[in-house]
Amino acid sequence: MTSLTDAEVTTRLPAPPPHRKKRLSPRVRTIAVFSYLMLIALAMIYIYPFLVAVSSSFKTDADATANPLQLIPEVWSLAAYNRLFTDVPLPLWTFNTAFITVIVTCGRVFFDSLAGYALSRLQFRGRTVIFAVFIGVMSVPGVVLLIPRFLILQQLGLYDTYGGMIIPLLTSAAGIFIMKQFFDSIPVSVEEAARIDGASIFRTYRTIVLPMARPALITLFILSFQGSWNEFGHFIVSRQSADLNTLTTGVASLVSGQLGSGNQYPLQLAAATLMTIPVAIIFFIFQKRIMNNTGGAEKG
Amino acid sequence: MATMARSRRGGIRRGETRYGWLFTAPSIVIIGVFLILPIALAAWVSVSNWNGLGSPLGGRAQFIGAENYASVLTDPGLAQKDFGTSIRNNLYYVLLVVPLQTALALFLAVQMNRAILRGRGFFRTAFYFPSVTSSIAITTVFIFLFTASGTINSILAWLGINGPNWFADPSGVIHNLLAGVGVTSPPPVLDVIGPLGITWWEWLSGPSVAMCALITLAVFTTSGTFMLLFLAALQNIGAEIDEAALMDGAGAFRKFFSVTLPMLKPTLFTVLTLGLIGTWQVFDQIYLTGGGAPGKTLLTPAYLAYQTSFKDLQWGQGAAIAFILFAIIVALTLLQRWILRDRDAKVRTPKPARAARVTAAVSEGDVR
Amino acid sequence: MLIGSSGDAETSAVQAAADAWGAETGNTVEVIAASDLNQQLGQGFSGNNPPDLFYMGWDQFQTYASNGYLEPYADSLSNADQFYPALKDAFTYDGKFYCAPKDFSTLGLIINTDMWAAAGLTDADIPTDWDGLTAAATKLTTADTVGLSFGQEYARIGVFMNQAGGKLVDGDSITASSQGNVDGLKYVQSLISAGVLKFPPQLEAGWGGEAFGLGKAAMVIEGPWINGALKNDYPDVKYVAAELPAGPGGSSTFTFSNCWGIPVGSPTLDVTKSLVEYLTTDEQQLAFSEAFGVIPSTESGAAAYAEKFPENASFVAGNDYAVSPVAFAGASAVLGDFNASLEGLATADAATLLDALQGNLEAAYTKANG
Repeated sequence: MTSLTDAEVTTRLPAPPPHRKKRLSPRVRTIAVFSYLMLIALAMIYIYPFLVAVSSSFKTDADATANPLQLIPEVWSLAAYNRLFTDVPLPLWTFNTAFITVIVTCGRVFFDSLAGYALSRLQFRGRTVIFAVFIGVMSVPGVVLLIPRFLILQQLGLYDTYGGMIIPLLTSAAGIFIMKQFFDSIPVSVEEAARIDGASIFRTYRTIVLPMARPALITLFILSFQGSWNEFGHFIVSRQSADLNTLTTGVASLVSGQLGSGNQYPLQLAAATLMTIPVAIIFFIFQKRIMNNTGGAEKG
Repeated sequence: MATMARSRRGGIRRGETRYGWLFTAPSIVIIGVFLILPIALAAWVSVSNWNGLGSPLGGRAQFIGAENYASVLTDPGLAQKDFGTSIRNNLYYVLLVVPLQTALALFLAVQMNRAILRGRGFFRTAFYFPSVTSSIAITTVFIFLFTASGTINSILAWLGINGPNWFADPSGVIHNLLAGVGVTSPPPVLDVIGPLGITWWEWLSGPSVAMCALITLAVFTTSGTFMLLFLAALQNIGAEIDEAALMDGAGAFRKFFSVTLPMLKPTLFTVLTLGLIGTWQVFDQIYLTGGGAPGKTLLTPAYLAYQTSFKDLQWGQGAAIAFILFAIIVALTLLQRWILRDRDAKVRTPKPARAARVTAAVSEGDVR
Repeated sequence: MLIGSSGDAETSAVQAAADAWGAETGNTVEVIAASDLNQQLGQGFSGNNPPDLFYMGWDQFQTYASNGYLEPYADSLSNADQFYPALKDAFTYDGKFYCAPKDFSTLGLIINTDMWAAAGLTDADIPTDWDGLTAAATKLTTADTVGLSFGQEYARIGVFMNQAGGKLVDGDSITASSQGNVDGLKYVQSLISAGVLKFPPQLEAGWGGEAFGLGKAAMVIEGPWINGALKNDYPDVKYVAAELPAGPGGSSTFTFSNCWGIPVGSPTLDVTKSLVEYLTTDEQQLAFSEAFGVIPSTESGAAAYAEKFPENASFVAGNDYAVSPVAFAGASAVLGDFNASLEGLATADAATLLDALQGNLEAAYTKANG
């Protein structure tokens, strides 16, 4: 459940902290210094595993096992990375993951915003029912869906195809909910003006609404990207061919191990490191938005 | 605002029904076909004897009533024992992860909320980053950290502690503590079969040493997210509490519990709900650590459902376990909401919106 | 074709054989090494897309056959009567010979000869009984190396139970909690508490062969498949294979076999059958033996094998008294549970473990035959 609460975080973050007093008593200073040291120690603990992972991926098998604490490898070795691109079909896994992530992310941003907009702004019969159903299915936990998803994909002949891996992920009730909340929070006047001028609903949506919704769309983009890049369970039950392995299922097969493949920690850690890079890039680009959301989605 | 729009009826509302359905159609189709229909199909499988060959709707699958549910819940045997074991494992996981992650997140948030803190951005990044990485990558790293001669044990060795072989150690920590005071076999009162076919002694084993490693992993990956939630809440109420004054006065600790914490109650409940729901869904980590090994002490209901269906080919039974798990999660959510309604009278946020927002948060995390 | 491979050696040998057959007949065969054979097979079948040909393990065969997953084709093979009768029995369900045995393997005691000599041991010390095994393991145990290692599972530990005279199934009754089985487990426990036996995970190895190759264990109990793995990954390790020492109940070892499974109603049945005939010829089986050490499943093939690889003769010799592990439908889940409980063997009470096994086996047996 690494990313469970991102929507929560991004939908309800507050204004920056109010300006505080500048003068502090010595007692407060002492406490602050202690608190500082503690935070630094904790931050080290949080960062250390990643440093160990990266440095061990450059070690030899023996070195990684023998010196698990050392952050600088005895001998820099690219063997693990070499193997990832020769023995292990890492490029193929990366392609699959990237391909799926791009389609799923685009699909979600498009379909979720369309549906969110309709549910927020358009008056039509059945709207409340649809919304109620979406809210209802949101509470179905992902792991409960593993077996059902497999059954339906198999029935539809989509099992073990890109289609089966992608289509079920193309929309999400939670994303629709986030978009609806956003549209509820912005004034309708601009689009009404456009509509009075005679623009069609779709045109209004495309030229007026979407540009206004940029902050929420970016939030949705981040969540979808991260979610589909890291997705594991669905790809376990929607495919079996080695050709359709994604980074998550591929790395999982390295780790949970074919008999005799042994404990090749540098190889596994190198794969784990590489697969984290794209998410890390998105994270650092959108850091401010993810953690200190200034955009429009905060209104719940 | 929606109500305002609704009152302005007139010419510009033409075509809204058509567009309303058009805009929602893709989502309705996908959610209908890949969420609602599958659940219906799985519900059928859970009361059938389908053996995985051919279509579950074909002639070979017959209705067998609640047999699959009975074999995991009431009929003594291996299936019931496995299910009982998985529930026990997950209970300990929940009991430890939820309080720990909540307490740590709250602690971090309070520390981060200090006015004079410099480098807040750095700390936030450090604490939050584990939450955005994939469960597969981070579990891989943790398996390495917790090997017999791995990083964790090297650190323990510095401190003069001989660390266990984490992921290969099936012994329960409560059992180990008892063994420390000389109790190695169950006293007769506990050596009787308890609920779900496993003995009370087994129920009281505590999490296995291997499970402790996974608990650490869960706390590590979730505390950052929850910290952000608490931080947001703290900053919202910041004006009402002068933190520096609190620290200057006597009993800052006591004031935290009597002033700050009550104001954080809504967020606290959100975090607890999310934690409760999330911790019942552990799957990826179990898959990577060998499907329940060591000694089935890492088996969880989520993984057991998968294994029963996909590996043991007992599709009906696996689907039944999945539905029982679903029921557990729904029951916990409802319980949480009920408590929320009970105590939340003074909170400004409208309740339905709150509840829905929590679920939005939960489900956007796992993509579907 | 989906195989559960023991390593690169096996995968490439099978691919080469399939290619050779393909070149002769104009077909193409894709060999896929499964990371988890059972799971992938299960998904293949329920996805209506099983592999045309696959390894079917001895432990899963009865479950698959009783569920109607398999095509009973083996009786119509041209070489059907050349297989070992015991192996034919292992792959017979309800009177029908379902699938052709691929090969078989028995367990032996693999000894690192350098360490053996360094510990001052000679050929005369090669253990023939439990006392000898304990003594050798004790002498071989050093700060870096443990004397003995093997997988923490029924498929290894079970041989000690059998050597003590135990059986899980005797005729029609389940005898898992019998004294012989208890004695077998207790002997293994005594090795653990003496510190001369450690299981591969404790040595940070994936299986016995890896622990052996890394020099973390001086002796392991494995089958002939270890030859291929050692040759590939640890070519410098010198070793010999001996028969397993006998216990108080006599000599015993396990024999394992895979068969070539074909899914029921396969559209490619005729073509696949011809591939199976090709793969099970003595000539081809001996080629596999060379590549990854398994013993041919035909009597003539096994005889040729013993001549060609005298160093592995002990594995063939073991077949005289070997038994096949218990494998009726549903037993595999029970043994899986037993394997899980064996992970706590060091501290557990042997009789309690076996009582649980007894209860579960009885239930599964009744279900399978009822």
